[in-house]
Amino acid sequence: MRRVAVTGAGVVSPLGTTLEKFHDSLAAGRSGIRRLAPELTAHTGVQVGATIDWNPAELFKEGEAANLDRVTQFALAAAGQALAASGLLAAAGAVRERIGVSWGTGMGGAQTQEASYQQVYGKGEWRVRPLTVVMGMANAAGSNVAVRHGLRGPFGNYSTACSSSAMALGEAMRTIAAGRADAMIAGGSEALLTPGVLVAWQALRTLAPADASNPAASCKPFDKRRAGLVLGEGAAAFVLEDESRARARGARIYALLTGYGNSCDAVHMSRPDRDGQIRAMQQALAEAQLSPQDIGYINAHGTATAVGDVVEAEAINAVFGAAAGELPVSSTKSLHGHLLGGSGALEFAASLLALEHGILPPTGFLEQPDPACGLRHVAHAAQRVAPPRAVMSNSFAFGGSNVVLVATRA
Amino acid sequence: MDTLGRIRQLAAKEFSINPDGLDPAAPLDTLGIDSLSFIEFMFKVEEEFGVSVSDEDLKAIKTLADLERHVAAALAAAGKA
Repeated sequence: MRRVAVTGAGVVSPLGTTLEKFHDSLAAGRSGIRRLAPELTAHTGVQVGATIDWNPAELFKEGEAANLDRVTQFALAAAGQALAASGLLAAAGAVRERIGVSWGTGMGGAQTQEASYQQVYGKGEWRVRPLTVVMGMANAAGSNVAVRHGLRGPFGNYSTACSSSAMALGEAMRTIAAGRADAMIAGGSEALLTPGVLVAWQALRTLAPADASNPAASCKPFDKRRAGLVLGEGAAAFVLEDESRARARGARIYALLTGYGNSCDAVHMSRPDRDGQIRAMQQALAEAQLSPQDIGYINAHGTATAVGDVVEAEAINAVFGAAAGELPVSSTKSLHGHLLGGSGALEFAASLLALEHGILPPTGFLEQPDPACGLRHVAHAAQRVAPPRAVMSNSFAFGGSNVVLVATRA
Repeated sequence: MDTLGRIRQLAAKEFSINPDGLDPAAPLDTLGIDSLSFIEFMFKVEEEFGVSVSDEDLKAIKTLADLERHVAAALAAAGKA
């Protein structure tokens, strides 16, 4: 099996629209969560979100942007950054039939779908844009990345709610390891902060209200005061590449993607299951050929729901045993919100900050740790350590889909 | 602005091209406009002029000049021109 290197990364997030800005915000413990605009809060009851001040004119011509859903614009921006950073397509010997795309998104072109429904049911006008289908379909974001860069290799699009883009990375890793591609652009994006989607989430009674004194502190994973998740938007993308080819062309190698665990709880649509999470973490460790004490940081799924955080803490303790007492864990969703289909990829980018630079991003606003979530928290502020040998990133989704990624120092 | 001028302006915006460089007699595919893009463009033309172009007529439109003729005819039929 060939080993897989990460040779490029790109980020469009509520904490900045490059990898560097994202990492700087995490290191500073800044939150991108804020009060949402009145048109989003008015009828939905949702108060806060992690939004991006997005100006498509910086990347797209006017007519072009109008024909790309926001989720696709984020995808193209992040993938473009990752490809540019990697130098992959400029390298001699880059064969586009051997470079593919592996993408993840929970809801695809949500803004396009909602605009269409608004036209039909809101305005009563049964006449919608002809591009509604190709802008709104779930694979629009990934397919546009392939089209933009002429990437004619294997294509995959994963939609498993909160584990979508982590799965996209894992499956891309497998594709390269099996020799089916030399490189893959892997990542995910989400852009679903629309009234129709927000009211559905609100109905689930799982969203945090605004923190009365500081809206930026509304999401408090592992804290006794936690009150639910905060939805966010954005994208993250990586260039994954056969390690030997990456080394031969002198590429900068950020990390090796060495472990991918994938399990299904097969128990319940929304209630998390300890055993399913344990299996995914164990699979990822086994594939990476690491023992629990080799992991120096876990980016937890940590959505700040009452049940979810406790179950994840139990699962981590079951897998890591005595090592869990010394193993730093944080949930960066406290800062960038929950990107759903984009979260696995974005949190993998957060994990690289720990792996490459020894900066452990914090669980923001964690001041009163819940004893039921017994973990070695990176609370409130980032911590500096000697760069660890390996890091883990957890993504546990509705539908019971668990994905765990392990990255190892190059 | 006349009908052709408005169509040219819409096309320039939709396809990010300079309106002065648009030859009304040039086949649309030579302007880099594929069939899907054209259908979306037609939707916007219909919105702009408040007219409806039938599927049958759509097949006959190969150039911006063809499009102008059909829009002008539709406007006349609707008593808008």
